[in-house]
Amino acid sequence: MKAATVSTYRGGMWSWLFQRITAVLLIVCLAIHLIFTHILSIGELDYINIGDRLAHAGLTAVDIILLAAGIYHALNGLRMVLMDYWFTSRKRALTLTIGLWVVGLAFMGYGTWALWPWIS
Amino acid sequence: MPDIKFRLKRQDPHSKKNPEARWEEYTVTYDGENLTVLEGLFSIQEKFDGSLSFRYCCRASICGSCAMYINGAYRLACQTNIKHLDTDLITVSPMPHLPLVKDMVVDMDAFFSKYEYVMPWLIRNSPDPEKEIIQSPKDRKKIDMPVDCILCGCCYSSCPSAWGEENYLGPAALLKAHRFEVDSRDEAGKERMARWSNERGVYRCHTIMNCVEACPKELNPTEGIQWLKKAAVRRKLFGKAK
Repeated sequence: MKAATVSTYRGGMWSWLFQRITAVLLIVCLAIHLIFTHILSIGELDYINIGDRLAHAGLTAVDIILLAAGIYHALNGLRMVLMDYWFTSRKRALTLTIGLWVVGLAFMGYGTWALWPWIS
Repeated sequence: MPDIKFRLKRQDPHSKKNPEARWEEYTVTYDGENLTVLEGLFSIQEKFDGSLSFRYCCRASICGSCAMYINGAYRLACQTNIKHLDTDLITVSPMPHLPLVKDMVVDMDAFFSKYEYVMPWLIRNSPDPEKEIIQSPKDRKKIDMPVDCILCGCCYSSCPSAWGEENYLGPAALLKAHRFEVDSRDEAGKERMARWSNERGVYRCHTIMNCVEACPKELNPTEGIQWLKKAAVRRKLFGKAK
């Protein structure tokens, strides 16, 4: 193994750190989400009642954070797994990272679009 | 005089006649109670087959040369007394997942290149003091665990992250990086950190902990690697790793 092969690899700290931060956010936001959905239920789970609940700015914020943290945590975890296998070279790893960001942003856009009537 | 059966994995991949792996059995008769696996291998080499190859040196579990895969676990042959294995069949094979040279001898070139790559020495930027660099007992305590590494390669051979990724530095090199980063006398800072804080360094470790189970010196490379991950964050955000 040539030393130069290894020295070309950089970074990784931020994705490691954000994986931990999003894990904590998931626990907190998921707990709030589940408590408000299933324990402090607002009656029938129908469109109007769910709409009323989402109209609360705090809960909408929690749902958006939950969405972002969930997408980041899942796709970054998938990236770590895939980088152990076929995506081992720097070039392939970069392609994978860009690809997953595109997928993640698309999911985020779709989720935000679904929540948009209550955000606006 | 009790008899003990040895089942050895023999292979000479460079032989033109017989490059295939095969299992061979030998019965060793010994006096007294204390026979180590290494002594058993000596006996086989002397009495049955002088071409049996294995590494050894200190015979006191301090040099790390005789690491092998013995009865389903990574062990040092010199440290393993057969009576503690509690069986009369001893199965010995070379450390898996490493290129084979012959019989129990594996190629450790990549292992030592990676070890050297993490700069396993004290790096100082401030001028040398006139006397020795004082280290408090509390600071010395921090390197108690990692200084005991004997570079036998058991952790490196057992790490699934290292099996599939030839550029991953592996637990032994990273534990050595931890040993110097945690040392109060070391001032390498970002110079060494650039070598281990990357996706072929500490972030390739998925805390599988095979290394902890494999280590014949009962060290904890995973703990060292986790310390390094946190140290990288501390250095990046607060400018100080320790």
